[in-house]
Amino acid sequence: MAVRQDASTGEMVDDGNSEQSSIDPTMMEIKVYSPYQIYFDEQAYSISAVNDTGPFDILKGHHRFLTLLSPCELLIRAQNGEEKIKISRGVMYVKEDKVTVFLDV
Amino acid sequence: MRRPNEIERDEKSIGTLVELTGVFEGIASMRIAQIKNQVLQATAFFNDLWEIYSQLRVDNLFRFGRSQDSSKVLNKDLYILITAEGGFSGDIDQKLIRVMQQTYDKDKHDIIVIGHHGAMQLVQQGISFKKYFKLPTRDKNINVSPIIQYVQQYQKTTVFYQEYISLMVQDVKRIELSAAVQQQGKESEENEKKEIITAENTIFEPSVYGVIDHLERSMLQIAMSQLILDSKLAQYASRFRAMTASHERAEETKAEYHLEYNRAKRAIKDQRLKEIINGLRKAKVAA
Repeated sequence: MAVRQDASTGEMVDDGNSEQSSIDPTMMEIKVYSPYQIYFDEQAYSISAVNDTGPFDILKGHHRFLTLLSPCELLIRAQNGEEKIKISRGVMYVKEDKVTVFLDV
Repeated sequence: MRRPNEIERDEKSIGTLVELTGVFEGIASMRIAQIKNQVLQATAFFNDLWEIYSQLRVDNLFRFGRSQDSSKVLNKDLYILITAEGGFSGDIDQKLIRVMQQTYDKDKHDIIVIGHHGAMQLVQQGISFKKYFKLPTRDKNINVSPIIQYVQQYQKTTVFYQEYISLMVQDVKRIELSAAVQQQGKESEENEKKEIITAENTIFEPSVYGVIDHLERSMLQIAMSQLILDSKLAQYASRFRAMTASHERAEETKAEYHLEYNRAKRAIKDQRLKEIINGLRKAKVAA
């Protein structure tokens, strides 16, 4: 939150830059879910996975991409650290800085 | 008239039945709430997947994920019957088989039955089936791949299942599987502006057709799982209804036993009182 204390009055005031400061320009939206469970649904820096061609990483600004995933461990680098999700199969769709991973399909 | 201690024993045993039916009623009601929630979640997932698939389609044909090769498809229709595993589900399975028999022709149709109760019913009626699958006990991550492998071998698949309408109303429905997939997709498509995904604007791995086939198989699996869940929902509701009726009957019987017990006890007391009065009278006369 971009809220500061006014030096003259002592009141808490919003400096109007709250939206700007909360959005990191290097982050993208990532959602990893199966029909019955959501595993990850937050902003993150990158996601790594494996398909038939081999391991790959997706970062912000990636071209539109649709791939079938091989059994692997998804690695998501988020603000709070890394998150690993072991998968047996899935489909990944990347579009306009939004990554959707459909699991168990 | 029966002795009070005999009636008391019966009342106690019917009391156990009241408690048991109450517990079963509670379990069924809890399962209904859980499955309804899962169906909603799976529908949202399906809709997202359908959105991508519909943007990829070059025509309206649903190919059951068997790629562009349709040469190995059997010239027969497949009937899939989703029934209960046990016998605690009321008469809905018999109703389902009756509906199936209206159109069944053994030369034109092969049957796959899911659920032991339905398989037993078919055997009793002398109807042969190609394969029997156990109804999945769990409600999440149902593995329907072996069923889908059969589905892909046939030109058309019709599923007979139990539909949950409300807690008190369940019905038998038949639906063509590809129609079930497309029906679910249409519901998600309404009021949406379409965008086309092509090899020109998207990178595909392994290939466009590879992805389409995979998505079709996936959506078939989700649709099939949804039908199984819908059937389970209806079965739990049917069980809930049966348990509610049994619970009410058991409570009524318990109340009747209690009344009978009180009457029997009262009758014994009256009898003793009568004997005492008679004894007193006789003693008075003798005096």
